[in-house]
Amino acid sequence: MADSVFVIRQRTGVLGALTSRKWWELVFLRIATYIILINVCFVFLFPVIYMFSTSLKTVADLADLTVLWIPRTFFWRNYELAISGMLYWQAARNSIIISLGSGILQTVACSFVAYGFARIPFPGRDILFLLVLFTFLVPPQTIIVPLFILYRNLGFMDTYFPFLIPALFGHGLRGALFILVFRQFFRNLPYELEDAARIDGAGPFSVYWRIMLPLATPAIIVVFLFSLVWHWNDFFEPTIYLFDQNNFTLPLRLSILSAALLQMLAGQGAGDEFNEAVIMAASFLVIMPPLVIYLFTQRYFVESVDRTGLVE
Amino acid sequence: MQFEDNFTWVILLTALAFVVPACILSIRVILSAVGVRLTYKFQRAMDGYFYISTWIVGFLIFLAWPLFQSLYVSFHNVKITSSELKLTFIGWENYAEPFLEDIHFLPLFTKTVANLLSDLPIILVFSLFVSILVVQEMPGRGVFRMLLFMPVVIGSAIVIRRLFGEGVSTEAIGVSVQTLSEVVFTYLQGTIADWVLDLVNRVTLVLWRTGVQILIFVAGLHSVPITMREAAKTDGASGWQIFWRITLPMLSPVILVNVVYTIVDSFTDPFNEVLTYIQTVGLTRDFRLGYAAALGWMYFASIFLFMALALVISSRFVFYAGER
Repeated sequence: MADSVFVIRQRTGVLGALTSRKWWELVFLRIATYIILINVCFVFLFPVIYMFSTSLKTVADLADLTVLWIPRTFFWRNYELAISGMLYWQAARNSIIISLGSGILQTVACSFVAYGFARIPFPGRDILFLLVLFTFLVPPQTIIVPLFILYRNLGFMDTYFPFLIPALFGHGLRGALFILVFRQFFRNLPYELEDAARIDGAGPFSVYWRIMLPLATPAIIVVFLFSLVWHWNDFFEPTIYLFDQNNFTLPLRLSILSAALLQMLAGQGAGDEFNEAVIMAASFLVIMPPLVIYLFTQRYFVESVDRTGLVE
Repeated sequence: MQFEDNFTWVILLTALAFVVPACILSIRVILSAVGVRLTYKFQRAMDGYFYISTWIVGFLIFLAWPLFQSLYVSFHNVKITSSELKLTFIGWENYAEPFLEDIHFLPLFTKTVANLLSDLPIILVFSLFVSILVVQEMPGRGVFRMLLFMPVVIGSAIVIRRLFGEGVSTEAIGVSVQTLSEVVFTYLQGTIADWVLDLVNRVTLVLWRTGVQILIFVAGLHSVPITMREAAKTDGASGWQIFWRITLPMLSPVILVNVVYTIVDSFTDPFNEVLTYIQTVGLTRDFRLGYAAALGWMYFASIFLFMALALVISSRFVFYAGER
């Protein structure tokens, strides 16, 4: 009897949590898991390492095949060139205004709208929510021309309002997804809280503002971070709405970097200083702010789906 | 930035976002002040509209109206003169053009669809596999999860274009393109070989797009009740059986979510050549706004069709634990 129980216990478990295998089997599985994961992570990390290592190479190092990862000298001049060629600080300021502004507005507006969808029964709610999901499917390119004309008539060209105003209404970049996240989160909160607040005389707005919103902190953090990072990386919409180079965001500056640098260096007779390494330095400078934010807040990103109960 | 000419509009639109919900709130207040007895149901409905009215106004201004306009424009030939847009009605001509005259659109479109169909299984299987590995309790799990999700955070379209323009993708998996193409062309032929090479070229790019899917799968795996697996274990099921008979069926709604997400993601992806082409036609090359709008609408309709197809097919396989 004891024997057969042992046999059953031996055979089980695909996810590790249930295993009671022999120790050497476990060790072998664990080692295999680590090897696979390290390989996979390497594939994921490789482009970033490549970017950083190339960004520090001199022209000689770039041409030299024996220099693989670590350049002979750390050539920081590439970064100087990238910063001056992109007008880094100006472009970073523009990027910060757009992503911080839209991030805050989107978080507030989407949580507000999502609260209505999640907690209050009203006629037509399900159809309207289908409409929200429908907006997620519309590629921005389908409606970009009418929007362009609209914003031009309003005088919004070359300003940040084409990003901020839709965000204020709970639209903008992936607004539907954020509404969905908040809705799922609000749905899982207990109804007694609201009822108690309403009995104590709270109006519809103060129920949301003073009871529900403070409880939604995990969802707020998740949505704000995602919105921030996605607006930072956004490329399509800025190319449409921004013409003046002084208003360019970092990704836009990166896209015109080659031309800008050639023009800048042409007068100095130092054209050969511009090369792939500079482009990589510039790319690294563009992804660095989100990367730093990610390093400090990765817990919120990684646990986002768990925390907001999106899967249930 | 210039403020003079647009300032009024900014104020007006911002005010609109607040005034509309305020109006709905005041209707309720006025009605009850006048002495109308409001039912609880009516009050709650007003509360609901109070919250979503902002979104509805935004939907009308920033989505419904532009969508309608682009539909309208797609049946017209647009001429841009210095002062205005001149529209002439031409019926379905813009919709017929990709099939009759335009030699670029259809190949790009089929290529996008083919890419999606080949990427979708890779993304799903890979992310499921990896998420099963990282869901285990082990030291360093957090670091792995962090690295796997990193591309979502730093995946700026333009940076990726700069990076992957140089074969970083194939270098990452340790093969150089030249040796690989020699090998592939010795064993395979023509279109199949092209397809394999293309896939290898994009493989890191494809894997870079699995971050969100892995997260969703990890959360899904956490939500599979451990009691079920324990019950199966007690009945003598092997790990393999438990995976196929319990974990996978319990996971099927999550798989559907991932399928939908992947389809939307790849159809609206910045690398998507169809979208780039539509943009070129409409906004840069020769400003053929009507034709671009028609292409946009056909593309949008096909996304819809794909989603419907995915939902219909999946409804036969998805298992919801709550239903009987």
